[in-house]
Amino acid sequence: MLPAEADVTRWLAAAGAAADEVTTTTLGVMARIEAARAADVLATLRDGEGDFDMLVDLFAIDTGEGIDLRYHLRALDRDEDLYLSAYVDYDGEAPSVWRCYPAALYPEREAAEMFGMMFAGHPNPKRLLTTDEVAAPLLRKSTLIRTWEETRRD
Amino acid sequence: MTDDRLRATPDEPIVAEGRRVPLTSPKGLRRVPRGVDELATEHLIVNMGPQHPSTHGVLHILLELDGEVVMAAEASLGYLHRGIEKLAESRRHHQVGTLLDRADYVSGIHTELAYAMAIERLMEIEVPEKAHWLRTLMGEINRITSHVLFVGTFGMDTGSMPTFLYTMREREALVDILEAVTGSRMMFNYVRPGGVTGDLPAGIIAKLETFLADVDMYLDEYDVLLTDNEIFGPRTKGVGVIDGTTAVAFGMTGAPLRATGVAWDIRKAHPYAAYAELDFDVPLGSQGDCFDRFVVKTAEIRESLKMIRQLIAGVPEGPHMAKVPKVLRPPAGEVYTAVESPRGELGIHLVSDGSDLPYRMRLRSPAYYNLAVIDEALAGGLIADAVVTLGSLDIILGEIDR
Amino acid sequence: MSPLLVIVLRTLAGLGLLLLNGVVLIYMLRKVLGHLHLRLGPTRVGPWGIFQTSMDVVKLLTKEDFRPTASDKWLFRIAPLLIFVPSFMAYLAIGFSPTWHFANLDTGVLFVFAVLSFVPIGIMMAGWASNSKWSLIGGMRAAGQQIAYEIPLLLSVLGVAMLAGSLDPKVIVESQAGLWLGFLPKWFIVPQFLGFWLFAISAQAETNQTPFDMSEAESELVTGFANEYSGMRFGFMFLAEFSNMFVAAAVGTTLFFGGWLLPGLEHNALALALGPIIFMVKVYLGIFCMMWVRGTLPRIRIDQMLSFAWKALIPLSLLWVVVFAVILKAVGA
Repeated sequence: MLPAEADVTRWLAAAGAAADEVTTTTLGVMARIEAARAADVLATLRDGEGDFDMLVDLFAIDTGEGIDLRYHLRALDRDEDLYLSAYVDYDGEAPSVWRCYPAALYPEREAAEMFGMMFAGHPNPKRLLTTDEVAAPLLRKSTLIRTWEETRRD
Repeated sequence: MTDDRLRATPDEPIVAEGRRVPLTSPKGLRRVPRGVDELATEHLIVNMGPQHPSTHGVLHILLELDGEVVMAAEASLGYLHRGIEKLAESRRHHQVGTLLDRADYVSGIHTELAYAMAIERLMEIEVPEKAHWLRTLMGEINRITSHVLFVGTFGMDTGSMPTFLYTMREREALVDILEAVTGSRMMFNYVRPGGVTGDLPAGIIAKLETFLADVDMYLDEYDVLLTDNEIFGPRTKGVGVIDGTTAVAFGMTGAPLRATGVAWDIRKAHPYAAYAELDFDVPLGSQGDCFDRFVVKTAEIRESLKMIRQLIAGVPEGPHMAKVPKVLRPPAGEVYTAVESPRGELGIHLVSDGSDLPYRMRLRSPAYYNLAVIDEALAGGLIADAVVTLGSLDIILGEIDR
Repeated sequence: MSPLLVIVLRTLAGLGLLLLNGVVLIYMLRKVLGHLHLRLGPTRVGPWGIFQTSMDVVKLLTKEDFRPTASDKWLFRIAPLLIFVPSFMAYLAIGFSPTWHFANLDTGVLFVFAVLSFVPIGIMMAGWASNSKWSLIGGMRAAGQQIAYEIPLLLSVLGVAMLAGSLDPKVIVESQAGLWLGFLPKWFIVPQFLGFWLFAISAQAETNQTPFDMSEAESELVTGFANEYSGMRFGFMFLAEFSNMFVAAAVGTTLFFGGWLLPGLEHNALALALGPIIFMVKVYLGIFCMMWVRGTLPRIRIDQMLSFAWKALIPLSLLWVVVFAVILKAVGA
C-alpha cells in the first residue's frame, strides 16, 4: 500500500527534512533525505505521526557517482511502505540508525563492508560477511569479478 | 527488551562504539568478556560453530558463558557467502533464478517467484492463470518440505532423534513430486519471468492425493513425538521469548513474528499468485517463545495442506507461460516484490537500467533479519536454550550469507 | 586348579563377556534405533550387517591416537581407563545363575554401585584434560548429574534389600522364587513397583541415555567430554557406556525381575542349565527398553534434570523407603 505523498511530505517536514523530493514510482513512494540527518529523520518517522515501526530493509546501490543508501520502512498497522534514499560519497559516512531500528545492525555492517563507506555510531563496526583478505568493497561497480564474461557490462 | 533500551546508550557496548575503517577487523580476541562476576570467576568464551551440529549450516556464534548460562551472544556470519548479489549483476535476468535457488536452498520456488514477479512488474507481463496456479501449488509443496525439515531439525535440537527421520519420510514424498514437476529436488529453476517451465506431468495429482490421504496421520505423529511430549514442553515453553515490539524492531517476519501475535503474512496482506482465491488462515502465537514458533510452523503445514487440497480440486486450463521475449530487457526503474517464504518476508529489490542485466539485485532475506535478534534472545538462557532458540528461528545460512 | 588361575580365568571371562557384549550391544543399538527411526541400520557388512561393529572395532584400533597439544598428557591418557575399568569391575558382582558368577560377594549390589560411582571421575578427568571448553562443560555436567541420580538409585534398592534381607545378588534372586496368589511370579517388581520406576529413571540417567544424556548432548556440546578423543581411547569410552547399560539392566533384572528364575522352572537341573540364558534374555529385554526410551524422547535440560532429581526423585524415594519399611513391619508382624 502506498502512503499519500502529502502525508509523507508532512512527516518529513516534522523531522525537519527537506520535503521537496517525494516521488511515486514503480517502487512506491520514495523520499530523498540528507544522509547526515538520516538518524533523526528515521527516529521522527518511527515515533511521530508516521509510525513506521519496521525497517524492512537497508541496503545500498552504487550509482556510479556515489552510494545511494536505501531505507525501506513499513507501518505494519496501516500496511504502508516508504522508501528513503540518502546519497553518500564513496568514502563518506552516514549515521547509524540502529538506535531506532535495531534491524539495521547487520545490514549497516554489510553495506559498510560491501561499499567501503562508514556508519558513525555503530556499536559493532566489524565486517559481516567477508574476511580481512577481501580488500575491495565488493558491491561497487568498480570492483570487477573473476572472468571477462562476467564483466561484460560496459 | 523495553523500548527505551533501544534508544538509550548501552552501558557497556559490545566492543567499542565509534568509527572504525570498515574494512578492518579488530585484532586478537574478537569478543572481550564483560569482566568477572562477584565470585571472581572469569566468563568463558566458546565458539559455537562453524562446525557444530546445531547451527544449521555454517553459522558461528560466540557465546559468553557463566557456567552454563549464556551472558551474551554474537553471530559471526559469512561462511557461506558466495556474493550472489554481485554475481547477479553479471547474469541475464533469466539466469538469476539459478543463483537464487542457491540462496535459500530449502525453498527455492519462493525465491525464484519473488524475482520473476519483480521482472513481471517492471515489464508489465500478464501471467496466465495456469502459471499462477502452478506457482502456488509448487510454492506450498515447497513450503511443506521446508517446514517438515524445520520440525525435524528442531526435534534434533531438543535431542529427539526420531522426528528428524520421520519428517524425512514426508519430505521425500514431496521432494519426489517436486522433482517430477520441476526436474530437480532442490535447485528447481522452475519459476521464470512470465510463468513456469512446465505443466504438471501425468499422474502427479494422483500421487499428491495418495500423500494427502496419509499426511494427517504423519502430522499426528509429530504431535505425539514433540508437541504433546512431557519433556519437549518445558524445554521450549518460555524459552527464547521475543516480544512483539522487539520482533518488529528487529525486522523479523514469518513464523517468528507471528508467534508473537503480530498477524503479518504477505500472502494475506498482498496476495500474489493465486493466494487471493484460496481460503486459509494465518496461525498466530501469543507468547513468542520457542514453543509458539514451533506450533505456528506445524499449524502452517496444515494450512498449506488445506491450500493444496483446494488447489488440486480446481485445475485451470490454458498455457503455463506467457509470451515473453527471449532476452528480457526490463525498462529502467526500480521495483520491490515480496513473497512469504517459509522463513518470512522474502523480498527482491530490483534496480534495472534497461539492459539485459540487473543493475542491482538486493535479496531481502528473512532469516538474515530473524537471526539478528539472537544477541538479544540468547542472553540469560542456558546453552541448551541457546540451541533450541536458534533452531526455532529456522535459519538457512545460504540465504543469510547470500 | 590353583586359586590364582581361577581368578585369572574368571577375569578373562569377564573381559571377554564385556567385549562381546559391547559388540553385540552396539549392533543392537544401531538396529533398534534404525527400526525405531524408519530406517534399517547397518546392512552392508556381512549378512544383515552383523559384522559392522567388528569392522568398527578394527577401524577404532587402527585409527590415529590423537592428542591435542594443549591437553594434559597424563590425565588425558588415564581418563578412558578410569571410565572403562569401573564398568568392567561392576561385571564381577553380577550373578548369572546359582553357580555362574565371577566373584561371590555378600554385598554384590552395593559393590556394583560403588564401582560405578567412579565413572564420573573419569568423565570429569576426560573433560578437564582435553583442554576444550565444550569437553569441560560436558565433564562438569556429568559430575552434577551423577551425584544427583546416585542417591535415588541407591535408595530405590533399599526396598528390595529389606524384602530379601541381603545385598547378595544370589540371595535376592533366590528370595524371588515361587508364585503369589498362584499366578503372579514372586518378583520384587510387584511390591516394589515404585522402587522399580525410581530405579529405571535413575539408571537411565546413570548410564547417560537420551533423556538424560547431559554429558554428551550431541546437539549442545557436540559429544561433550569425548570431544577430543579418537581411536581406541574413544572406543574405551564408548564400550564403557554400553557395558554400563548392561550392568544397569543386569542389576535391574536381579533386583526386580527374579534374575535367572522363571516361574515353574526353579530348583532343578534344567533350571540350573537354563539359568544364564534366562538371565541374559531378561537383561537384553531390559536393554531393549532402555534403547526404546533413548530412541523416542527428547533431551531434558540440565537445570530441569537436576531439580527433577533433587526436588522429586530424592524426596519420593526417601518417602518410599519409610512407607515401605512401615508396611513391611506391619505386614510381617
